Amino acid sequence: MMTSLGTGIAVGYLIFVALGLIISFAVLWSTRAGRRDKGQGVDVERAEKAEPWWGVFVVGLLAILLGLTIWRAPWFTENDDPKDVQVQVTGIQFGFLVQPTQVKAGEDVEFNVTSKDVNHAMGLYNPQGQMIMNVEAIPGYTISRSYRFTEPGTYEIRCLEFCGYKHHEMIYPAFQVTA
Amino acid sequence: MMTTAVPPVAPGALPYDDAEMPLALVQAKTRRLVLRVIWTSTAFLVVAGILGLLLRLRQAEVITLGDNFWYAVMTAHGLGAFIAWAGFFLMGITFWVLMKVGLPIRSFVLPEVMYWSMVLGVIGIVLTTLLSGFGGSWVFLYPLPFNSAGQWSDMVTGVFSISVLLAGVSILAYCSAVLHTCIGPGLKAKTDTVGQRVGLTFGFGLLFPSRFKTDRGKIPYPVLPFAVNAVDMFLATLPFALLLVFQVIESVNNGFSINVLLAGNLLWAFGHPVVYLLLFPAAATYYYLIPRYAGRELVAGKAVAVAWLIALTMNLFVWAHHLYMNYPDGENVQQTLGTIMQPTTYALVLPSALSLYSIAATIWRSDFQWNVASKFLIAGIVSWLVAGLQGIINATAAFQETLHNTLWVVGHFHNMAFLNMGLLIFGAMYAFLPELMGRGWWNERLGSWHLWGTVIGAYGWVTCQMIQGLEGAPRRWAVLPEQYLTLTHISVGFLALLVAAQLVFAYNLWTTLRKSPFDDPGAAMQGGTQR
Ligand SMILES: [Cu+2]
Ligand SMILES: [Cu+2]
Repeated sequence: MMTSLGTGIAVGYLIFVALGLIISFAVLWSTRAGRRDKGQGVDVERAEKAEPWWGVFVVGLLAILLGLTIWRAPWFTENDDPKDVQVQVTGIQFGFLVQPTQVKAGEDVEFNVTSKDVNHAMGLYNPQGQMIMNVEAIPGYTISRSYRFTEPGTYEIRCLEFCGYKHHEMIYPAFQVTA
Repeated sequence: MMTTAVPPVAPGALPYDDAEMPLALVQAKTRRLVLRVIWTSTAFLVVAGILGLLLRLRQAEVITLGDNFWYAVMTAHGLGAFIAWAGFFLMGITFWVLMKVGLPIRSFVLPEVMYWSMVLGVIGIVLTTLLSGFGGSWVFLYPLPFNSAGQWSDMVTGVFSISVLLAGVSILAYCSAVLHTCIGPGLKAKTDTVGQRVGLTFGFGLLFPSRFKTDRGKIPYPVLPFAVNAVDMFLATLPFALLLVFQVIESVNNGFSINVLLAGNLLWAFGHPVVYLLLFPAAATYYYLIPRYAGRELVAGKAVAVAWLIALTMNLFVWAHHLYMNYPDGENVQQTLGTIMQPTTYALVLPSALSLYSIAATIWRSDFQWNVASKFLIAGIVSWLVAGLQGIINATAAFQETLHNTLWVVGHFHNMAFLNMGLLIFGAMYAFLPELMGRGWWNERLGSWHLWGTVIGAYGWVTCQMIQGLEGAPRRWAVLPEQYLTLTHISVGFLALLVAAQLVFAYNLWTTLRKSPFDDPGAAMQGGTQR
């Protein structure tokens, strides 16, 4: 099951893929007419003159996407306001030290994520098995990431940065969110 | 049917400035070199493909593999498929295309260095991973190579680093050879100075035709992506080589270490551009082959020249999009890099978007020649579009909390590397092997089976991976959580089809080499008879 962000990405992507496939098909179909007139029925120079405008159009679309998304880069969505509870998450081959292991729904939680040896990452999965957050655990550095849980239950932390031969067993299974 | 802008190579027709060698000999030597790279890289594909299959079969719980061995296989598969197959193949085919557009190799020293350092490097990588258990993944994120949890020694890391360094030397030799070949007398600059030649090579003849003049009228478009890639890969390989040298030092000197963030930046300064070691030569090959089948010159002009200049510069300033999620508290530099590198990465959409436009305009209402080669190219171009859209998503920092290090990324780059560059490679084999070997393909229909099996099989498989990724399936997990097993099983079905298609291809290639009659004895005499 996808998160709402995942679903949004998938839908947006599929719309553009569909458009792209329609255009591709039209281009390929046009070679049927091309065969009849031996490729003479088209003004190549006009297509060449129009190319910069296609470039401008693409730049425009990308500028819109940039404007819509750059403010939501993870480092911009954090603020310095004091949080209700601090949770220390430390990666170590091959497990997570989590302290405290329980928070309340509705609290502003700040995860302080780091590592003792190699790079790991904290992938936070909700009780439905959806990944709702992911933070790198870098040795010697800390990344703080806030989250407000709305749904009580047992959450899982899975390692999301390759860290060695037991990477796939690096799971903290029982982070509790109480009502 | 040959209707490209530049006539096909004929003996004596082209300038060759290192004059001791007659052009016919240059052609023969180029032919042998390119064939050697094709056979070697295809052998690497066989190995890397089987390794990739093992990875997925383990995830599907069809076979069992030791945990560390799985990750060692993963490491070998990544480097093998990406560098030793696709990268190496395109490095080789570069020199054939350049010769066809009138820019023959001017010295064979660098191409030979390219060949042998790659072969040695790949042997080293295979031995250190599969035999000595180096399983740090193809990005071997520092300090993991030195924290193996007892699975391999620092010594193995050192030898692995030297092996990768050899592949880097191969890339450096390739880039130098490409620039030496491009910036040559074949450009026929009106005033033959180095400045004029460089300008012509990088598209200034298109932008300022009155200041950069050539007797050829126009420099062939494939030169642009080849030359841009050569400059960028040369520069991008240097920081990576530095990282590898640091690792070699640390492998013998325990007291030595480097900063983790710095290591990440050095790695990705190479790790992004290396994608274009495949994509840009692939673009150049499309530029060369599509006009051949469309029967008209590539529809392009100033816009394409501008796009490649953007590629030339921006390519070197996008690496931090691989480090979007590494934004430690107080490390404002890394956060600023992330903010800057989303738009610079978007800028790299332009060369792709304009290339796709040019290719589409070239095909539009043309008397297009449909054959196995051109169909493979078309399939590759459509994948370029599809995977390019995924690339824009990946370039967006705000989406990373859902996508980063999930199987979506793995699905995406297989969509790009295998279904765009890989299909181009097969298309290039169907298009170029007849002229390289002097004999036609044994069976065209088997080629169609190869196409459809590959397209359906590979799209089925990468789509499964992308869906799994959107559902949060972590990347690089030997054993995936239960919830993803169904899609893994479905993808194995598609992989079976993909493998069957490659067996058809192998049979067709084998039979061609054994039974197809020579129709070009000249090529045969020049070394086209590899058995
Ligand atoms: Cu891990
Ligand atoms: Cu990248």
